[in-house]
Amino acid sequence: MKNLHGTDQRTMAFINLYGVLGTLEELCTLDGRAREILGEKRMAVGFQVSNGPCATLTFDHGTCALSEGTDRCDIKLPFSTPEKFNGMIDGTVTPFPSKGLTKVRFLTKEFIALTDLLTKYLRASEADLKDPAFFQTSTTLMFYTIASAISQIGNEDRIGKASASYIPDGVILLSIQDGPAALIEAKNHRLKTVKQLGTQPVSARMEFGSMEIARDLFEGRRNSLACIGTGEIKMSGQVPMLDNMNRILDRVGLYLA
Amino acid sequence: MNTYSKSREEFARAVKVIPSGIYGHQGPAEGCFIPVDAFPMFSQRAKGSYFWDVDGNRFIDYMCAYGPNVLGYCDEDVDAAARKQMELGDCITAPSTKMIDFAELLVDTVASADWAFFAKNGNDVTTLAVLTARAYSHKKKIVFFKGYYHGVAPWTQKVDYAGILEEDVCNNIYVDWNDYDQLERVFQENEGQIAGLIAQPYMHGNFQDNQFPADGFWAKVRKLCTDNDVVLIVDDVRAGFRLDLAGSDHYFGFEADLICFCKALANGYNVSALCGKDFLKNTVSSLTYTGSYWLSAVPFAAGIACVEKMRRLNLPKLLQEKGEKLRQGLLGAAARHHFDLHFTGAPALFYLRIADDPTLALHQEWVAECVKRGVYFTNHHNHFLNASLTDGDIAETVAVAEEAFEVVRSRHPLE
Repeated sequence: MKNLHGTDQRTMAFINLYGVLGTLEELCTLDGRAREILGEKRMAVGFQVSNGPCATLTFDHGTCALSEGTDRCDIKLPFSTPEKFNGMIDGTVTPFPSKGLTKVRFLTKEFIALTDLLTKYLRASEADLKDPAFFQTSTTLMFYTIASAISQIGNEDRIGKASASYIPDGVILLSIQDGPAALIEAKNHRLKTVKQLGTQPVSARMEFGSMEIARDLFEGRRNSLACIGTGEIKMSGQVPMLDNMNRILDRVGLYLA
Repeated sequence: MNTYSKSREEFARAVKVIPSGIYGHQGPAEGCFIPVDAFPMFSQRAKGSYFWDVDGNRFIDYMCAYGPNVLGYCDEDVDAAARKQMELGDCITAPSTKMIDFAELLVDTVASADWAFFAKNGNDVTTLAVLTARAYSHKKKIVFFKGYYHGVAPWTQKVDYAGILEEDVCNNIYVDWNDYDQLERVFQENEGQIAGLIAQPYMHGNFQDNQFPADGFWAKVRKLCTDNDVVLIVDDVRAGFRLDLAGSDHYFGFEADLICFCKALANGYNVSALCGKDFLKNTVSSLTYTGSYWLSAVPFAAGIACVEKMRRLNLPKLLQEKGEKLRQGLLGAAARHHFDLHFTGAPALFYLRIADDPTLALHQEWVAECVKRGVYFTNHHNHFLNASLTDGDIAETVAVAEEAFEVVRSRHPLE
């Protein structure tokens, strides 16, 4: 990351943990190969970033769940700075566990295989995207990564916090027609992405018309304002929530490009 | 019920060669066309209170081109004056004396004006006002009221807007409308650093019920600015002349140091004006600020005809009366279907909100049903009245609004 337009390593670490690694949850649901990699293993990997995020990925019989803190992990990976954690994600830093030394093989085998599979979807090649099933899964995973990154940027990034400061309390439903959906909950200008839809009332909705349109938008091939005009993006409800969320969405690209 | 197949075709053509198809407030995104298929995209012609879209649908237009249509589209007196000047010349190396005539007319009409400086858009003159405040005071900071709109120049935008640098907005201070104590604290905390305070005469921001100033608010703000040598700028681009031909500061009983006009100034011909007090005239003279078309004569001729006609008609009184009739009609229709419709701001530039649903989705449904039936309201911006609106137009509007309420109520029955 080149710290473009005020981006920072700390926010990047939050995005990497909750947005990128957090999408392992959906990978395990959507791709049978991920479940095969994990088999019947149960392992909890904690990431503790000094002056940064702290969370645990728990793998259990082919499933994955992200939870706050590192109190209940089998392997704990401490990072002295957000830069070091981001380096692990980029593959330039090798972490050393402070707990679970005897289980480190999970990191070098199953965990690496899972993250490699995730990378294949999130940094997809043009050839792979020609396969409709791959395209569908890749775009779905991309959607969840972006939806999670919105909250991290709104909470941690200096400019993103300015956008969040204009978002009133409420819930935004972000969705792709016939595809994935997520909620962005706003309370006291703090954002939280919820990937399991509940029954809470929604204050504002933004729906991308298809997986293709969503992908084009995510990759910058289309412009959201033009898509609103053509009806390929539908919005309703508390427009200021969407307007300010979209300003955060603009910054997602700076971090994840 | 309106259909818009030609509008859609034209929009598809537009997006290929124009960023976002229609950009800005008149476009579907910023204009909050929700749902987009309820709204026309392109007009074919306009006359009086109506415009016709490219599909041939007629609308009673309560946006009035977002303000410029103040006398009625294609007003015969204004257009005749413009045509007459066009035959003589428009954009000429040496400006026409129409410029002086127009400045004299504004100085004679606007209570706080000792001079007038002309440009094209509201943004040109709000920016000039801020430049003037800084040049006069040699100070940096500008105070805004939250919910403001003063144009689209970088200094008016926010730090998270695309293309805006922190340096563009680092001297902006934002305070809550009508909170005098907060404003006074801000002045104390930034003593000797505030160049100007810029404000609309009342809070007519989008997405919220519009709010008049609290009793005594403007008098206290005026005194605070005077005591602290802060230039008081009134952005009357939106409300100007619809409330009071002498300026909205005059309407609320105070005098601005600088006052910005555009929209209603020339009934759609493109000219804006910054008017100000004598003590700032030399400062404005010293600024480097001009544009290729700013001294064109046709808009001056149109502006003169427009201001003279607004004076003849006593426009603010006329619009107040029409707005009041409309207010009563709409509130009555809403009440009959058990909707809590809020009609706020001055009747001449009223803001609508169905308050039953905090998400605004119900309001958006109702507005869409009105537009589909030929009454052009917008979702989250204040509306505008023009002098050509008839009692028949108001009656038709109320009938359409009532039908739209009925449709929405049938989808959302009372429990």
